[in-house]
Amino acid sequence: MQTTEAIRPSITDEPRQNYLTNGYTIKSWLLTKDHKRIAIMYLISVSAFFMMGGLYAAAIRLELLTPASDLLESGTYNKVFTQHGILMIFFFLIPSIPAVLGNFLIPIMIGAKDLALPRINLLSLYVYWIGGGLVLFALMQGGVDTGWTFYAPYSTTFSNTYVMLVGLGIFVNGFSSILTGLNFIVTIHTMRAPGMTWFRLPLFVWAHYATSLVMILGTPVIAITVLLLALERAGGIGIFDPAIGGDPILFQHLFWFYSHPAVYIMILPGMGVISELISNFSRKKIFGYEFIAFSSIAIAVFGFLVWGHHMFVSGQSMYAGLVFSFLTMVVAVPSAIKMFNWAATLYKGSISFDTPMLYAIGFLGLFLIGGLTGLFLGAMGLTVHLTDTYFVVAHFHYVMVGGQVIAYLGGIHYWWPKMTGKMYSEFWGKISAMLVFIGFNLTFFPQFILGYIGMPRRYASYPEEMQVLNIFSTAGASVLGVGLVMPLIYLGKSLINGKPAGDNPWMLPGLEWRTQSPPPTENFDKMPVVTWEAYEFGEENGLDLEAARRRDREMASDFQKN
Amino acid sequence: MAEHGTHDMHEQHEHEHMTIPKYLLIFGILFIGTIVTYLVALTDLEWIFPGANTLVALGIAFFKMTCVMLFFMHVYWSPKLVKLSAIASFFWLAIMFAYTMQDYLTRGTGVFGQ
Amino acid sequence: MTTHAGEHNDHAHAPGLQHQFEDMKQQEESVSIGMWMFLVQEIMFFGGLFTAYLVFRSKYPMAFAVGSNHLNAFWGGLNTLVLIVSSLTMALTVYYAQKSNRNMQVILILLTMFFGTVFLGVKAIEYTDKWSHGTVPITGLNKVVREGHGDSHASKPIEFSIVPQAYAAATAAGGEEHAYVNPRGEFQWNDYDLIEKKVAEQKADPNAYILTTDERNGYFSHGELDRDKFRDKVRIFYWIYFVMTGLHALHMVVGLGLMTWLCWMAFRNTYSAEYYMPVEMSGLYWHFVDIVWIFLFPLLYLLGRHFIVGGH
Repeated sequence: MQTTEAIRPSITDEPRQNYLTNGYTIKSWLLTKDHKRIAIMYLISVSAFFMMGGLYAAAIRLELLTPASDLLESGTYNKVFTQHGILMIFFFLIPSIPAVLGNFLIPIMIGAKDLALPRINLLSLYVYWIGGGLVLFALMQGGVDTGWTFYAPYSTTFSNTYVMLVGLGIFVNGFSSILTGLNFIVTIHTMRAPGMTWFRLPLFVWAHYATSLVMILGTPVIAITVLLLALERAGGIGIFDPAIGGDPILFQHLFWFYSHPAVYIMILPGMGVISELISNFSRKKIFGYEFIAFSSIAIAVFGFLVWGHHMFVSGQSMYAGLVFSFLTMVVAVPSAIKMFNWAATLYKGSISFDTPMLYAIGFLGLFLIGGLTGLFLGAMGLTVHLTDTYFVVAHFHYVMVGGQVIAYLGGIHYWWPKMTGKMYSEFWGKISAMLVFIGFNLTFFPQFILGYIGMPRRYASYPEEMQVLNIFSTAGASVLGVGLVMPLIYLGKSLINGKPAGDNPWMLPGLEWRTQSPPPTENFDKMPVVTWEAYEFGEENGLDLEAARRRDREMASDFQKN
Repeated sequence: MAEHGTHDMHEQHEHEHMTIPKYLLIFGILFIGTIVTYLVALTDLEWIFPGANTLVALGIAFFKMTCVMLFFMHVYWSPKLVKLSAIASFFWLAIMFAYTMQDYLTRGTGVFGQ
Repeated sequence: MTTHAGEHNDHAHAPGLQHQFEDMKQQEESVSIGMWMFLVQEIMFFGGLFTAYLVFRSKYPMAFAVGSNHLNAFWGGLNTLVLIVSSLTMALTVYYAQKSNRNMQVILILLTMFFGTVFLGVKAIEYTDKWSHGTVPITGLNKVVREGHGDSHASKPIEFSIVPQAYAAATAAGGEEHAYVNPRGEFQWNDYDLIEKKVAEQKADPNAYILTTDERNGYFSHGELDRDKFRDKVRIFYWIYFVMTGLHALHMVVGLGLMTWLCWMAFRNTYSAEYYMPVEMSGLYWHFVDIVWIFLFPLLYLLGRHFIVGGH
């Protein structure tokens, strides 16, 4: 049982040194070993790539307003959706939560001074920048038009674009992912504070552990695949060229062996954030802690067994299709377990609808739709009708944007006071969350219908009768765009004149709330000894939020009196 | 003090386990294994069953790898996590091989094995 | 409020202890797990290539066997032995690091580097041999020979003609006299004995499983063995050979770089019984590179030897 004192470690207002004030030179940032500074640099980089990917998305939606290929001609359109995919997947979604929130919070959540290997952490940032730089350079030269999936033999033999350069950028960027994952696994094993047993860890940490497993086991395979692709293109060999006895399906096997687990890299951290948000904003211990923890590991492991569901109609054998289809159904089960546990956590909780909670609730609905439609696509009969249509596009946007991006935004808002020491405008936060939710649904729900009635993906033109739904979709995209740009403004403004946030503005029991906002460079004034369970909402700050706030005010006024 | 996994047999002690004669013994085994692989490859074992040559070659390679991992890389005395990582990586390789080959080996079998 | 500047004085400051760790044991544990995670990812990295090998070998076993027979198993075997010796010297380096014996460490690291260099030297001999025989699968990377001039190379050449079939046909049909053989540096292949024998066997007994389904489609045009198509499959074998051994050799070069750094640090007496993890970790990397070769050798070099010897 913790005391209120533990939640409000100090109610002094003397200026204290924190990780942001510890050195103001560029060198102190670029050569830092502090995981928090590295996380902030990732935040800036990742946001920049997100905006770029968003601009490409805007181009796509503008082109698709009209049935004809009038704004962009087909070849250019191919480049635009390829760029959108590459930037969003490799440079935003995969690093987002792990490199920003994971890097910042994992050491604090386990009670350590830093990650186990801080220089490796810095190296992963440099490698990310180098990979990103290479890809940006390639884009400026004219980019690639193969689709982010780089299918052979188009990418190896026929495409006239900068495949090798972009491939090199992705190859390099993969190592950023591997190094981050490696660091997390080591840290979670060896750097936990005394008393922080595995089952006292926040579920955010479990989710990142599972993600790191996927990063380490899967990313090298995309690296070798891209290498083979580049070599084939350079040397004119033909192991992916059927004319010489090569097999294009081999490329797809190798590619999807990573890229399917990659989608779990792109959702598991989000699920970890949601576990935190749901539990904390219901002020109730999460339901089924062990189930959620183990389901994360299960998703990571089972996720490696289902890659063939991207290849049902590519030419793999029917028997293989059968096996992959069955396993796809199985891999949905751990995700479903999480959904049920989250819903059960909400039940009889004391829910406060702050901005992060709005995002979390949005996640529940959107990920549900996305996950279920994934099952439709995993069923052999349906998939023949729906493959390569907008149904697939809608499905993966529901899980990736409606899932990970929403969780990322929720997490950023939730931990913003901890990272910056400032509180953002709750009013604008709520407006933005609602705009994102409404805009997102308006953009992507019509695409399910479009896919079902047969609109193919990756086409710049489409039959006239599909225009109305496309107009809805583009309108939604505008709303979504506004909702996504708004946080830049009000979060940025909070840095300048936001209300200073206390150490524990949400009044929560997590270990990260027991240190300063922003934290000092070595995270804690005194290394903690953990004697409490995870999500322990004791009497003092339990379900009754109003009582907790009253006590808090009393304590503050008592302190001022004395 | 941070918490660690249960391993009293710390890396530092293993120099009491691996002495120079033992290193030379493992080296000798590896050396002989290589010679055997070479000689067996020159012998036709296909009469046992097709692919016997490959199986024997791979078997010897696995054995050599195990010797290197256990004794040169000290996995025998390493914490459980290290042992698990080593085994898990081969398991993941097996997943990649098996699930890829289950496509190639069942091509041309038509609808449900016809 | 305590700062952390003074905290280090509380610990007996072990050499090489980094600030984020409480003690040496935690650092060693972390570094060890970190290195193993890196090796796990390296295993998956090579794994992709082994998958490609597995797929193509199961599709075209004859082409692979024939291609493999033309690799020089002597050099391959020698390289295997060289790497095993270098693994021994590396393991002994770690042993002497723990004993704080500086001189033996340096000697053994230098020996390890020596054997590593021998390995790379043998690979250079092998690659040059391929270049001069026209078995590099990339057009333009094979030797262009002036007709009538002997070409000199270090190793004993495997006997087969270097004049490509199509070219010979073209010149024989009355084309102008060319001064060069293989003017475009293309991949060349002329050993069709084994495959023709197998095709004959298969035709004699259509129900026997001598050629795989893919081979029955892949080597034939209009029901007859098509030499060009067969050559293409052999070319795939050589491509896989070059990529796998090339990537392995690249890792070897990185290993040599690592050894150079380690040698310098060992020379400066950095390592002792209290602080030897960098040596141990470098050893892990080196042994990993050795293990990859232990698999590459039988899979690439010893595939079809029994065909030549046993005659089956």
